[in-house]
Amino acid sequence: MFLTHLSLKNYRNYESQTLEFMNNVNIILGENAQGKTNMMEAIYVLAMAKSHRTTNDKELIRWNEDYAKIEGKAVKKHGALSLELIISKKGKKAKCNHIEQQRLSQYVGHLNVVMFAPEDLNLVKGSPQVRRRFIDMEIGQVSPVYIHDLSQYQKLLQQRNHYLKMMQTRERQDETILDILTEQLIPLAAKITLKRHEFLFLLEKWAAPIHHEISRGLEQLQIQYESSIDVSEKVELSRIIEAYSEKFATIKEREIQRGMTLAGPHRDDISFIVNGKNVQIFGSQGQQRTTALSIKLAEIELIFSELGDYPILLLDDVLSELDDYRQTHLLDTIRRKVQTFVTTTSIDGIKHDIIKEAAIYKVHSGSITAPSCH
Amino acid sequence: MHYPEPISKLIDSFMKLPGIGPKTAVRLAFFVLTMKEDTVLEFAKALVDVKRNIKYCTICGHITDTDPCYICKDERRDKTTICVVQDPKDVIAMEKMKEYNGLYHVLHGAISPMEGIGPEDIKIAELLKRLQDETVQEVILATNPNIEGEATAMYISRLLKPTGIKVTRIAHGLPVGGDLEYADEVTLSKALEGRREL
Repeated sequence: MFLTHLSLKNYRNYESQTLEFMNNVNIILGENAQGKTNMMEAIYVLAMAKSHRTTNDKELIRWNEDYAKIEGKAVKKHGALSLELIISKKGKKAKCNHIEQQRLSQYVGHLNVVMFAPEDLNLVKGSPQVRRRFIDMEIGQVSPVYIHDLSQYQKLLQQRNHYLKMMQTRERQDETILDILTEQLIPLAAKITLKRHEFLFLLEKWAAPIHHEISRGLEQLQIQYESSIDVSEKVELSRIIEAYSEKFATIKEREIQRGMTLAGPHRDDISFIVNGKNVQIFGSQGQQRTTALSIKLAEIELIFSELGDYPILLLDDVLSELDDYRQTHLLDTIRRKVQTFVTTTSIDGIKHDIIKEAAIYKVHSGSITAPSCH
Repeated sequence: MHYPEPISKLIDSFMKLPGIGPKTAVRLAFFVLTMKEDTVLEFAKALVDVKRNIKYCTICGHITDTDPCYICKDERRDKTTICVVQDPKDVIAMEKMKEYNGLYHVLHGAISPMEGIGPEDIKIAELLKRLQDETVQEVILATNPNIEGEATAMYISRLLKPTGIKVTRIAHGLPVGGDLEYADEVTLSKALEGRREL
């Protein structure tokens, strides 16, 4: 897909800004704190209807204004797409091809983006929560049923934890209710576990060769889903359900003692393994960076294989963090097939011919100047 | 903002109703000022009457002005089947259908640990009592198709298992007469899960 038009109104530090894009590579150049990341975020929000930086939508609205509006036009494999998202203090309104979408889950997924920002290093280094969020967001982009299952699971989990707390304090002692809540939880837990497992299997398939190449053939990447139950190769839903039933039966007493649910997707994690060792613990900075990059590049291919169209790539302040070899590899991979937006404070840091094909947009205190030629 | 006391009292009263916030309450209160006295009296009387005269049926828990209610009293009804619902409004919905000829049992809620509602807080004990005399052969569980409703249905079905009474759960899936394209993804996937062979 190719983003041809973006217009922002009252978005963060932009009062009113309209941009046209004609090139595959677009460099957003500017000093710090001028609005480079805000513009990248705007494209991300246009696609996902939420920000990667904050969960509070009010932050996206310009100071002292009532609403923010992002509009975009894109060309997809199957034709033109026009998107409009209005964020007000009361909530969000989304239009796709001028038709208002009743639910945001119907809006998300029309425009696909992959963002690579410095925070993404946390994917490897950070807490399990970051990795769970990543996997949920990625699967959510292609499966609305997954989003629903996940929210049902969260609700049930709250109910179950609440009841376990009451059993812990002996306020309630009816074990039948606990059994029922467990019985309700298991199929949802199993569905989520299976989906995540399948997704990581695919992700590894794409990420491993990419990682192998970026590391100049020295490293082998594996991705493992760390679950509280045994999820071996070729799994079936009925087998996972069985495994969870057994698990919950054995930990029942301990759950009552602790007053919380001790197994399930909300406690699972992803391990990235390079040459047999967990990168999160034993990897160098460079290896962690390479892993994060491989995963992002794999995501691009994964989306292409599922949708037949490449997503838009947003590189926020990461190019300068990569050494020349990785930079070249990244830019070679995306060249001429993936529309890319890159932010940087200086173009000197980019040593690649790709710069000759790029359109350079200059950002200065909430205003963007488009390139004069091209 | 200062309102004369009678007005602020009325605003306060309106705000006790569900779905009515401060703005709507003010609007309603000021509208009452413009109404004719007769209409206001009638309105007040209706409020009091509904509270005084409407009771819950001692058998099924449905709202009624006579006890037992018209459904429990009706001799033509099939006494071997009981349909369990969460709310009196659900009885009315079922009755609109005019297809069901059995009896009802209203639970007045669903099990939800978060809200502190357990089985003893809803009318499950009353249901069990009704099932003791062996006329009932089938219990249809028509609680809502959400987490709490499902938990309640599962709980009751467990309690009834040893009695040997047939326990059924209403189906969920696509609305009848609708188009497939208008169904949301989740309903569709549920409908797909519950597909049957023809």
